Amino acid sequence: MSNSTEAVGQMLAEILTKYLKNNWADSPSSNKTITPATDMVTELQLDSFQVMEFMLEVEDHYDIAIDLDSLSNIHTITDLAGVVIAAHKD
Amino acid sequence: MPLLEKFSVAGQLKSGLGHVGKDPTSVVFEKLNSATEGVVEGRTTILAGTNNYLGLTFDPDCIAAGVAAMQAFGTGTTGSRMANGSYAAHGALEAELADLFQCTNAMVFSTGYAANLGVLTALLGKGDAVLLDSDAHASLYDGCRMSDADIYRFKHNDVQSLEKRMARLGDRARRCLIVVEGMYSVLGDCAPLKEIAEIKERFGARLLVDEAHSLGVYGERGCGVAEAEGVLDKVDFTVGTFSKSLGSMGGFCVSENDVLGLFRYVSRPFMFTASPSPAVMATTREALKQLRTRPELKETLWSNARKLYSGLQDLGFELGPEVSPVIAVRCKDRKSALAHWNQLLEAGVYVNMMLPPATPGGASFLRCSISAAHTAEQINTIIERFAELKG
Repeated sequence: MSNSTEAVGQMLAEILTKYLKNNWADSPSSNKTITPATDMVTELQLDSFQVMEFMLEVEDHYDIAIDLDSLSNIHTITDLAGVVIAAHKD
Repeated sequence: MPLLEKFSVAGQLKSGLGHVGKDPTSVVFEKLNSATEGVVEGRTTILAGTNNYLGLTFDPDCIAAGVAAMQAFGTGTTGSRMANGSYAAHGALEAELADLFQCTNAMVFSTGYAANLGVLTALLGKGDAVLLDSDAHASLYDGCRMSDADIYRFKHNDVQSLEKRMARLGDRARRCLIVVEGMYSVLGDCAPLKEIAEIKERFGARLLVDEAHSLGVYGERGCGVAEAEGVLDKVDFTVGTFSKSLGSMGGFCVSENDVLGLFRYVSRPFMFTASPSPAVMATTREALKQLRTRPELKETLWSNARKLYSGLQDLGFELGPEVSPVIAVRCKDRKSALAHWNQLLEAGVYVNMMLPPATPGGASFLRCSISAAHTAEQINTIIERFAELKG
């Protein structure tokens, strides 16, 4: 995979867009445009459960393990990209 | 943000609960007529949301045991066992639990929540890893988070998801604890413990199973889902509560591993809280005795569960994936869940309302829990009241 923050952020935005359409179609956030700068909590209004469920998809996509504690510091897709890149190096 | 500002979110949540009718968190039972009937706002109400699976809360022998213990040993222990000493009944209850589970070690905690905090914080430390089912109870999450271990979730009851994550741990798999429940409390579905135990053995990890809702419900001796699946000997630590099937209060851990005996010296939720009271221990011991000597309780419970499940299924409700004493009815959304819950209560049926984020898939449910003490007439009434929701 290309592991620049931009490339990972773009891929995560795509995964999240697809994930919301497939799993949370009724949610208002499912139709929003998601970019690496999007804040998952304030802009998309995802609750903690939705963020954690999305994280399982990300783990499987990249075949990595993300510790639950890492989630508390993740707000934007770019933040998450940093965690994904770090987990890939481990 | 000022210190108290964060409570505005909880305040909005609370006021939202009362928009459709009565706030489900403010129900008061003015009187209890039996294990399955109470009085709410002057109305006789069938209790179908109490987790009182064996219906023992009004059992005359359990009550007599509690009264006798209170008369002999007083109302409370007034302190922790490490500081103030143990009562004979603490040890007796632990011996009886070890005997039921056919293992060598047992430890009693003051609540089921404290048992999970106490066991997980003692077992786990920095550098250890936890693989936790995504639908696990809050007490399991909290215990793991308090332990400083690295927590990785796997998809609920998904063996492949668990296996993939275990493989990702590499050498750390031997420092890993798998944490699951026997029966899950929202949907009443059971963990695939045979497959989970196989993964645990293959990777050299350890397994903790919370049988809070399955004690007294599954297995020939009533030990839970692991016994029913024939893998009780593969479970390293079983935790559970006395507050469901046994109709009492408190929690426990049993294990074949002697390390459990050392938890008493390192488990803060055990060391720094008052021990279970004499009445609690006595009623729990009597309920355990009844669990062992009255197999008909479990049979009646399952017969009642099948009746309610098929009755609601016939009405076209979307239910949890399998028949169990916990029967979750999926609602269209939060608003309809609140409206239906209110309608049922006003019609004399109390069930639990389960709303996101404390629910799988962010869905809203009306959760019924059935009891061995429910009569056929009560079950029919519950089904009739649900039928009225269909308009």
